[in-house]
Amino acid sequence: MPSRTTDLIQGTLEMLVLKTLALTPMHGYGIALRIEQISGGTFLVNPGSLLPALNRMERAGHVKGEWRATENNRRAKYYVMTEKGRKALKNETETWGRQTAAINKILEA
Amino acid sequence: MGWIRSLLDGSKALSDKRRRNAEIDEELEAYIGESVSDKMRGGMSLKDAVKAAHAEAGTAETVREKVWSAGWESTLDRLWGDLTYSLRRLSHAPALVFTVVLSIGLGIAANGTIFSIISTFILQPPPVGDPSRLLAIMRTYDRGQCCNYFPKPVYEDLRTQAKSFSDMAAYYDVLPASIGVNGDSKREWGQAVTANYFDVAQLQMAAGRGFEATEEHAPAIVLGYRLWQRQFAGDAAIVGKVIDVSGHPYTVVGVARSGFRGLEQVLDPQFWVPLGDLPELIVNAPPADSRSMQWLHIAARLKPEVTQQQAMQELDVFAGRFTQAYPATDKDNGFHMSPVGSIPERDKKMLEMFLLGISVVALLVLVIACANVANLLLAYGAQRQREMAVRLALGATRAQLLRQILLESVLLALGGGVVGVLLSLWATYGLSSFKLPAPVATDISVHVDWRVLLYTFVLSALAGLLCGFIPAWTASRPVVSSALKGETALSRPGRRLTLRSVLVVTQITLSLVLLCGAGLFLRSLESAAKIDVGFRSRGVVMMAVDPQLHRYTPERSVQMLHDVRERVAHLPGVISATATDGVPLLGGHRSDGFVVPGYPAAQGPNSVELYMAGPQYFETLGIPRIAGRDLGDENPMAPKAAIVNEEFVRRYFHGDSPIGHTVNGGGVAYQIVGVAKDTKARSIGEQQRPVLYRAISQNLASDPSFEGYTIMARYDGDPATLIKAMEDQIHFVDPALAIFNVQTMEEHMHDALLLPRLVGTIFTVFGVSGLLLALVGLYGVMSYSVSQRTKEIGVRMALGAKATEVQRMVVRGGMRLALISVVLGLPLALAAARLTTSLLYGVKPWDVATFTLVPLLLIAVLLIACWIPSRRASRVDPMVALRVD
Repeated sequence: MPSRTTDLIQGTLEMLVLKTLALTPMHGYGIALRIEQISGGTFLVNPGSLLPALNRMERAGHVKGEWRATENNRRAKYYVMTEKGRKALKNETETWGRQTAAINKILEA
Repeated sequence: MGWIRSLLDGSKALSDKRRRNAEIDEELEAYIGESVSDKMRGGMSLKDAVKAAHAEAGTAETVREKVWSAGWESTLDRLWGDLTYSLRRLSHAPALVFTVVLSIGLGIAANGTIFSIISTFILQPPPVGDPSRLLAIMRTYDRGQCCNYFPKPVYEDLRTQAKSFSDMAAYYDVLPASIGVNGDSKREWGQAVTANYFDVAQLQMAAGRGFEATEEHAPAIVLGYRLWQRQFAGDAAIVGKVIDVSGHPYTVVGVARSGFRGLEQVLDPQFWVPLGDLPELIVNAPPADSRSMQWLHIAARLKPEVTQQQAMQELDVFAGRFTQAYPATDKDNGFHMSPVGSIPERDKKMLEMFLLGISVVALLVLVIACANVANLLLAYGAQRQREMAVRLALGATRAQLLRQILLESVLLALGGGVVGVLLSLWATYGLSSFKLPAPVATDISVHVDWRVLLYTFVLSALAGLLCGFIPAWTASRPVVSSALKGETALSRPGRRLTLRSVLVVTQITLSLVLLCGAGLFLRSLESAAKIDVGFRSRGVVMMAVDPQLHRYTPERSVQMLHDVRERVAHLPGVISATATDGVPLLGGHRSDGFVVPGYPAAQGPNSVELYMAGPQYFETLGIPRIAGRDLGDENPMAPKAAIVNEEFVRRYFHGDSPIGHTVNGGGVAYQIVGVAKDTKARSIGEQQRPVLYRAISQNLASDPSFEGYTIMARYDGDPATLIKAMEDQIHFVDPALAIFNVQTMEEHMHDALLLPRLVGTIFTVFGVSGLLLALVGLYGVMSYSVSQRTKEIGVRMALGAKATEVQRMVVRGGMRLALISVVLGLPLALAAARLTTSLLYGVKPWDVATFTLVPLLLIAVLLIACWIPSRRASRVDPMVALRVD
């Protein structure tokens, strides 16, 4: 397992979380699971980094937290992306695209 | 918007930490629960799933910590933790807290008090609307010499023509009047103002209104808040009532807001009347149409869109135009602008230098206090080396320790700041009791305001950082290995002790400078009090009346003064009584240039002090007459008789006998009938001035006094009874007369010594504070070094050293520091003393007595500070000392 996982690049977690929430509101574990699944297990997100990030994003107004029942009938905090979050995601995705393109160019040169 | 939410959420989290934690825990639990369910769906057993989920998630504690540290509130929370920790620590060292807080408190009090003076007189604008756009305009002469007041026509020209100002008010600044109802009148000082005065000042009124444009000559009056409270008991229905103003009925139209004392700093006017009323309230009011009589102050309201420079340029244009149009009166005159309420240009430099000087002195006291505190904290830090080493070993960073210790010293210093402000409150109360020796009403009371609070707060915090830094630096850097073993760095002889010694030497040196200053000023006060003023102040009471305020004719005034004097002179216990127009030593009375026919012009400045004298004047004041006759009830129709003093004879007659000669002053001829000994006229410290005494009966009509007339009596017995009896006699002659300035000549002399007394008091307080601080500092260092050297002393005694030898050794150590300080401090003190020359009366700045006695006194006191610890050292029992550890 450890050989397949890598650390998240600094500052990208919030972008990934926003992207995950773009489709539907989710609770903490759901977000972590989705990121792990979509990245094919490359990124493992633990609550020690996810919950502070969600807290920061809630403060920044990018997401809104609501307590709801899960499909397993457990009370959990669901996060809903706000309009502001949508804008932030768009910005960050663009920035990210530019950065990776540039980095790739340098690496391929 | 984000930061508002962040602020709100953060504060909510801080205010209910448990709820926030429960929320985090709940979220984490849900997370783990979901994880477990998920893993079980994947085929794990419940037990394995729980184990795996917990392993992935980490402990609740860690997660909680991480979530907390994502918000700003965690920084605050940590700071709060440090703060409570510091407070807890400090509560275990009450003696240290007490000494430190008191030391800093003394230093802050010194600075707070001095800053209160600066704040009250320099920084505080008058309580008018938008003080920054209200300007005082003065007139310069001889191309830029500052400054004169305004003739009314010049004010009117400016007001109608200048475009830079929305409006311009003029006022006459010191106007006496007797004010009251139904004969119960008091003499008050007020101002005569143009009708737009209150509009230009944009002053809020406590009741009623200011003057209206139609009231330029109306019998209307605005009362000062204090006068309203005192004389009219704060009568809520005062507006519209008619009161008696120097015998004329005036209608009260308003009451100025509390704290308003006109537009100047020191004066204390308590009523305002329209300028047009001036001729009916005072005799010989300045003629309104004269372009040479300079008597009006001007306050102008700058238009919002105009800068001061533009306004000044416009005024310069007018100055040029006026010079052209009125060469006789306006030639070479210009204008000068300053913010309203600032110190007059003339006195500004001196006052600023003086305040700067005492500010520096106050800062010195604070530096001494800081050195003291740094020293104590160093000792305290040395005791904590072990704690610090343990915390470092457990993973605290040095920065954390540094922050913690600095926080402690800042806390201590802020505590000192609070004590300092309390002491300042008390000190400013004391300062406010000083009275300015001037004939008009003044208010020099000093208050602690928000500026002072801010200043003391910043200063305390700075002091805390300053005196905490060195101890924090050394304490956060213990030699971990030895500190853990319980050895402190200070127990090793040498280096660090030197740092503490340097601090003590600094303290003693600066205290010596302050004490020498105190010594000098006390000697100056002593010699000022001993200056021969030329008259005998003991056993004289005086009180004043102003018949003009009661619409007396000159003839009636002369008759009244004659009657009162006769009656007072016949009171039991009264040796002699007289009347005069001015009391000596009030800063300046009336003076004129003189010409003596047949003699060359005077040597030195041509200015003679003029006093009116009734019969028995010289007898009552105890001024010896040395030639000619006395002045009596002179016939008003006869040629004016005068007595001159010796200085007059020296300057104007070059030593010849003046008796029989006629002299001319201010267009009046006086025949000299006698010569009296010299007296001090304006102030105690002055060079002798020429004085001419003229008969009250011959001059009251032609040159009436503006400040009323004072009845003086030389008595034998109880002054209080006499004062009562004198008042009764005055009221027997006219029950309506307002009596003012009742005091004994000794009280008056006390006020006249304001400057030397003020400076002497300040320096004594500061010097003694400095001495106390140095004493505590030296004592602390000595007793600490004794406690550290117990073992060494034990060894010495075991080897045969006698108690007296040990004691001598300790005292010698302390005295060495004291002597070094004296050697360093004396030249400093001498250099500093040179700056004070202009403030000293009859004492040289290198006064031998001061500079020998003060160091000796200091050393004697410091000897005690060393002697007490040395006693303890001599009582060390070698058996006990060597068994320690």
